[in-house]
Order: sequence, then C-alpha cells, then structure tokens
Amino acid sequence: MKKFLALLLAVVMMLSLAACGGEASNDTRLIYGSTTEVSGDIGPGAWWTNNATDKMIRDLINDYQPVVTNQGGEFVINETVCGGVESVANDDGSKTFTVKINEGLVFSNGEPITAANYVAYALIAYSPAAAEAGAKVSAEQVVGAKEYQAGEADALAGVRLVDEYTYSITISGDYVPYFYELSYASLTPLYIPMYASAELTVVDTEAGAKFEGGELVASELDAARWMYADAVTAGPYVIKSLDTGALETVLEINKNYAGNFEGQKPSINQLVIVKSEVATQFDMLKTGAIDVLDSLSDGNEVNSALDLEAQGGYKTVNFERNGYGKIQFQCDFGPTQFKAVRHAVAYLLDRNEFANTFCQGFGSVVHGPYGLAMWMTKESTDRFEAEMNTYSYDPAKAVELLVEDGWVLDAEGNEYVSGVRYKEVTAEEAGDYELNVTLADGRILMPLHIKWSSSEANPVSELLVTMLSNGQQTADAGMVIEQTVMSFDELLNYMYRDKTQGDQYGVKTYGMYNLATNFTPAYDQSYNFSLDPEYVANGWNQNYIFDEELDQLSMDMVYGVDPSDREGYLKLWQDFILKWNELLPEIPLYSNVYYTIYPDWLENFEESSLWEFQQAILYATVAK
Amino acid sequence: MAKYVLKRIGYMVIVFFVVSFLMYSIYNLIPTDPARAELEPLKMSLKPEEYEERYQQLRDEYGLDDPIPIRYARWMGFMKDKQTDTYHGMLQGYFGYSSLYKKDVSVVIPERMENTIFINIFSTILALAITIPLGIYCAVHKKGKVDNAVQVVTIIGYSIPVYIIALIFIWFFAVTFEIFPVSGSQTPGASYTGIRQFLDRLYYISLPVIVMTFGSLGGMTRYVRAAMIEALSMDYIRTARAKGLREKVVIYSHAWRNALLPVITVIISWFLGIFGGSVIIENTFGLNGMGALYYAGLMNRDYELALAIQMFYIVVSLIGQLVTDLSYGFVDPRVRIDK
Repeated sequence: MKKFLALLLAVVMMLSLAACGGEASNDTRLIYGSTTEVSGDIGPGAWWTNNATDKMIRDLINDYQPVVTNQGGEFVINETVCGGVESVANDDGSKTFTVKINEGLVFSNGEPITAANYVAYALIAYSPAAAEAGAKVSAEQVVGAKEYQAGEADALAGVRLVDEYTYSITISGDYVPYFYELSYASLTPLYIPMYASAELTVVDTEAGAKFEGGELVASELDAARWMYADAVTAGPYVIKSLDTGALETVLEINKNYAGNFEGQKPSINQLVIVKSEVATQFDMLKTGAIDVLDSLSDGNEVNSALDLEAQGGYKTVNFERNGYGKIQFQCDFGPTQFKAVRHAVAYLLDRNEFANTFCQGFGSVVHGPYGLAMWMTKESTDRFEAEMNTYSYDPAKAVELLVEDGWVLDAEGNEYVSGVRYKEVTAEEAGDYELNVTLADGRILMPLHIKWSSSEANPVSELLVTMLSNGQQTADAGMVIEQTVMSFDELLNYMYRDKTQGDQYGVKTYGMYNLATNFTPAYDQSYNFSLDPEYVANGWNQNYIFDEELDQLSMDMVYGVDPSDREGYLKLWQDFILKWNELLPEIPLYSNVYYTIYPDWLENFEESSLWEFQQAILYATVAK
Repeated sequence: MAKYVLKRIGYMVIVFFVVSFLMYSIYNLIPTDPARAELEPLKMSLKPEEYEERYQQLRDEYGLDDPIPIRYARWMGFMKDKQTDTYHGMLQGYFGYSSLYKKDVSVVIPERMENTIFINIFSTILALAITIPLGIYCAVHKKGKVDNAVQVVTIIGYSIPVYIIALIFIWFFAVTFEIFPVSGSQTPGASYTGIRQFLDRLYYISLPVIVMTFGSLGGMTRYVRAAMIEALSMDYIRTARAKGLREKVVIYSHAWRNALLPVITVIISWFLGIFGGSVIIENTFGLNGMGALYYAGLMNRDYELALAIQMFYIVVSLIGQLVTDLSYGFVDPRVRIDK
C-alpha cells in the first residue's frame, strides 16, 4: 500500500512538473472566460447557430461591413471600407443602395477584397445550397432573392456587381423606407474559395449577379462553417485554433487588417476564449487561468469582482443592461384589460426596492421599453422627466385608481368593504373569464383576481411573491394575484395561446407573466402591437393590447421616417415610449448593471451593452 | 450458451423498442414547439406573413401535427422521412439533428465521447485499484484501527455530494496550493503536440479524476469489505485454513473469488459508466463530455440530442445486463447460463 501511494504521488508530481512548464507565453495574451460554450460554427451571419461565444468569434474575425454600429448603437458608415452609401428610390417602390468600396482592402491571407466578395455574400446567403445545408436566412427583403433561393432563378436580380469595387443591392418596396435601411446595404466580404471547391467567379448579367464556373454545394458550405486555421477572413483577428473538444479558441491579430470604422486596430496579440463555469470562474480568475469575466450581473458575483478589484491587480467596468426584467400583461381579457388595474399593480409594487433587492444593489429601474445606454434615451432626458409616469410606490393611489375605475363592489354586488374587489362589467368585457360572477339580477361582476403564470425556479417570481402577490398592500387594495408555477415552455404556450400544443393553451387564462427582454441597436417594435387578428394569432402582439395610436407609432417609428431624419425618428420614438408608458402593457422591474472584471495591465478598455467586448478590445492596450 | 445469448438479444431488442417508444413519447409530450423555437431568432427580419408561412412549413417538415406513433415510426426509420422521402431514422444510423449545434447528432456525440472515455477510464481504474485492495484489507483486519478509520472516512466520502467534494478539492488543490488547474482540459493558448499534449491533458484531468475517484471510494470499499467479510465467514474458508493453506491463498483464491460474485455487477456497471459521463464533474470542471452534452441538450430543449444520448444509455445498459449475467457464469460455475 505504501509503495502504491508513493508511486501515485510520484506520478502526480511528474505530471504537474511536466505540464506546469508551459510554452513561452506571448506577452499580450488575454484569456477570456465565457460561460457559454463555443459550438465551433463560424459560418457567416447567424445563418446556423447564434450563441454568444460563436457570435463574439464571428465578430472578431469578420469586419469591413460598409455600415456598422458605433459606441452608442447608431448605424454609421464604415469609412475604412467605403465613402458612403448612395440610395435611389425606384418607380416600383423598391430602393437601390450602391456601395463603392475602397481599394486596398485585403483578406487575412493578403488577397485583395473587391466588390465581388461582397456580392458573394448575398449569392451564398440566399443560395438554395445554403438552405439545403440548414441555413436560416430570410430572403424577403432583397428583390429576387426568394426566386433565387427557391432555385427558380440562377441570378440574384436585386444584387449587381457594378464594377470591380462597386456593388448595388435593391430592397423590396415592402421594406423601405425603413429607418435602419442602410443596414440592408451592409454585406460582409467572403473569400469565395472557402465556400466552394469549384473555381467560382462572380459575374454581372442583366438578370442580376450570379456565380460562374460551377455551383455551390450544400456539403461544402457546411464544411466552411467548421474551418478554422485555414479560414480566410477579414476582421481584426484570425483563428489560430478552435478546439470544440477542449472548448477553447485561440485568435491572433490579423496583420492585414486595416482597422474598424474609426481606423482602430487591435494591439492584444492573442485572444484565448475558454469555457468557464459559474461555480469556479472566480477561482480561475484568481489563479490566472482566465483574465476576463464579462457582463457579470449576479450580486454575489459583482461583489466578488469588486473585492478582487479592491485587493489590487484587477479593474472593473460597469454598464447598464440594454433591456429589463418585466411583468407582462395580456390586455384583452380579465382584470388586466383595464388600464387602471395595470396602473394599480404598478403602484402596488415598490420597483426601486425590488430592483435593489433582486440585483443586490447593482440594478436600476426604467419606466418604458428602452435601455439607459441608448442614444435615444440619453437625448430624451428632459421630455421623459416632464412627461413620463414613474409609477412610484403608492398603494393609496392604486386604491384611488381602482375606485375611479369602478372596482367598488363585493361578490354580492354590494358596496365594497373588505376582501376582493369586484366591478360590474359588460358582457363584452366579461368575455369568458372563468372567475366572473353573474348575479340573479343579470349583472356580471368581475373579481379583481389576476391569474399569474410564472416559470419554475425563477428568483424574480419568488421576489414578486414576497413583494407583490403576498404583500399586505395588495390584499388591502382588494386585489388577488394568484401565482401558477409552470415550465418556461408551458408559459410560452399560454402566452402565445398556442393551441397546437394543447387545447388548454388556446384559452385566455393568465393575465400576467414575468419574463425579460433585451433590445438590439436596430430598435424596431413594428407589428408588436398590431391590431390585425391574423398577426395577433401568430404571436405578434403578445400583450394583446389593441391601441391604434400605439400600433401606428410603432410602425411609423421605423417605416415612416427617412433614415436621415434623426430628429423625426427621435420624436416618434419618444411618443411611442410615452404612449406605452401610459398604457402600461408591461411593468419593467429591473435593469441590471453589468460588471466586467479584467486585469489592471489592460488599459483603454471601455465596454457597454451597445459596445461589446469584441468591439471594445480593439481599443485596449497593455500597460508598459 | 449461444442459444441463451441469442434469446437474450431477442429480449433486448423487444425491450429496446418498448423503452425507445416510451422515451420518445415522453420527450414529445413536453409542451414545447420546436418550429417556433427554430424561427424565433429570425422574427425581427420577417414580416408576419412570411413568419407564418415559414412556421407552418417547419411544422409540416418536422411532422409536428402528426400523431406520436407516426412520428416515432419516422424517427426510428420504419416510415419514410417527410423531408427526404427516404427511410432515414435510428435504424438507418441517423440519430437526429441537434438544434443546438446545428449538425447531426452522430457528429456531435463522438467528440464528447472521446473526452468522457479519456477521463472515466483513469478514474475507474484508479478507483478499482484502491477500493478492492482496501476493501479486502479492511475485511481481513475487521475492527482494527485501519478498518475503523477507513469506515469513518468512507462514510464521510459516501455522504458528501460529489459537487461539494469537487469544490473543496478545487479550493484546496487548485486555489490554495495551486497544484492543479481549476478547470478546463488543456493549457489555454498552448499549442502542444505529441507526448507534451498528452501530459498536459493528463495534468488537467488529474483533479477531476481525483475527485471522481474519491467520490466513489466509499461505496465500493464498503461493498467489497462486506462481500469479503461474508465470504471469510464461510465454512470452506475455515476448511482451507485448517488444511494449512497460506493466508494469502485463503484470501485471494478462496474468499475473494467467492466475494467477487456480488461485486462483479458493480464493477461491470462502472466500466459501462465509462461511456456515460458525469453531469456534475464535467460541468464543474468545464470538461466537454457526454454528461455536459446531455445536460446542455436538456437545458436548451435540444430533445433530439438528449433523446439520442438517452437511447445510447439504454443500449449500453442492456448490453451491460447481458455481460453481467454472462460473467456470473464465468465467475461462479454454479450459475448456469445455458438456459
């Protein structure tokens, strides 16, 4: 036994010594710990997978789109790539965008980038072969893309190779004018030999652009997704290795990169992205196994990060989340169809305290569907301060609103004294809400009883129970909020009223849900408040709120404004937010403050929810 | 013997189809909508009409509106697939498509399997190498100081969840003394090859292997000890000793051979477990194995992936039962396996 233990220890020591040596490390290597595992799919766009780590790698190895978002989330021209985007409105309502790219751009292997490489992106994205390979790409916007994708045309009518450095793309009249329409012109240059074994060339014909010299093959497009060290790309970094077994990606600077839209090039020589586990990520950080933990939101994690920063050796950057956790109402049945009830719920919940408790001090409260980092929000401070209702905690106000709205009866139709409030409603208002009471005299009474669907093992739900549904103020106001815990899948089925999953889901049952939402830089709420019954049935108006003005504003905001009319857009955006704030189809609960911790030798690293790690790292330098 | 094996294989096939149908039905009773989940990321770029068209198209492609027996028949390969119009199911070697990884399940599983086998093979061999001699030693020296100490340590090890053991060991060996890395399966950014790469991987899996070994010491040691104590109390042991056989011969040739019968079931299940992976260990140490894959499949509602792994586990356990039964016959001549 002794011999065996001695042997075991000797083996362990030998292995430790052998492996501890390591290879000579690069001085400017940064190891990023990601809790999302890399799938290894680096195919362009999000045609196949779209997890956070894949996206980060894709962003780091691809750039040179003519239109990109800046630090504030605004779409801007990438002057490293082109001088601008020209647009011409056509007679049929479509719009053609022409981009002349700068000469001198090259891929990571040094080969020149021409307009053909941009056109190749569209020809590959909309190809039948890509669809066959499982790519999910919408072909609706680009003229002729549907026919090309279906294999009915061998040329893509809406995309033209004008000359060696110029291409154009025509967008269907259904999709323009659109406030973010410049983004339609933004294609990514692709290195064609990576996607086809045949020697394909892009040619322009009267019918549109097409490939000549062979055909795209689904299996070859699929294979290109998993090409790493041999991948030829055009971004700040190239992949040195990607190991899906070890869940590790090593990226190195692309020496041929000309810079981002501001001409910025990276200076960290090597980025290593490894999988980290939530339970041990700070141990990894302390032992130097990783250098960066990004977007921490949990209060305990943030406190650990701040403790480490206080001990020295690390710095943190914090930024507001571009989204929020929320209560979502269904506004077409039961008590939540009444605006006063939705307002009353908001007044009955101390949202500042809720956010503070849930985010353990690292959160804030918003009062509408916006994020604090958005440029629109920053430019709306005065108007919002003057006109926005913040629904500050006020149970008395809640009762006042309920009384004004007619919630003044008890279950027998007498004047309300205590217990649950009731309201006399019309047959139309009553609908088939199961808790309604019909009195002998024919009057229909609706109880102030809201059925709430909440997902299982959800700490937000647990806090809502404590602070709202079980709160004394709620009972005192004569309101009942009845929680039903279910799986998230079931919650979605009830929310979508998805009868295909079971007849019970098609019945209007729950008036209140708790979920979360995030926004993208292209802030687009179109159709989300549609009045069209077909759209509603297809899940486009998940609040089931039917307000013409809200619907109109959500559409006009993006489809009724010219992209150059920034002020016009801002005005409509503010109108939309304020109308939403008045109707209150949702109650924003908390918006996290994210923290990123990184080593103190990293300088000039500024991150935000609209300016992510992969964008910010280009500006970061290593302290001398 | 051959007849017995064939009969058992016949039963296994029946059990496999019954269990696979039950598992398939259970997974498909989960109230989720794969078509909606597939299309949701595209929602922002689609007009409502196109969204609905695509949604219905996907529902049709996936056969979501068909009854479960029909879907099962397609999935198993008894009926033609709707998309390809060919027999394209489990029986034809197609295990489904992973919605999480966007590639065939048959491609996803092998790379994880390799990791799992690499980790488990070491921990299994190490655990058996420690527990069997230790169990025998404790049985032979029953109620001695070593036995008492081992009893206490093993009951503690047996009682503490492996997740807690992992965190304690990480704190002790990785954070405090920095002997082993906290997590991962290779040095980040290193481009080792050959023996250097192998040693690097060994170094990284050392701590998970130690944790897995430690976590399994308690049960197996006590199991071996109990079997040996019973064997040592038999009359034939007294007879062997009375014949004047050396104590080593008595213990290893007479007692251990008989004690092996109950232990062998556990040993075989351990070896079959090499393919299974550990959800907790792999997720704690950031290892990309079968356990982590199964967990990811479930958490991301990638039910084709989870179901394929489940089917794999079913096949492994059915084979395991057959191997266990056959091994009884080899270990104990009293057990006849030809009937």
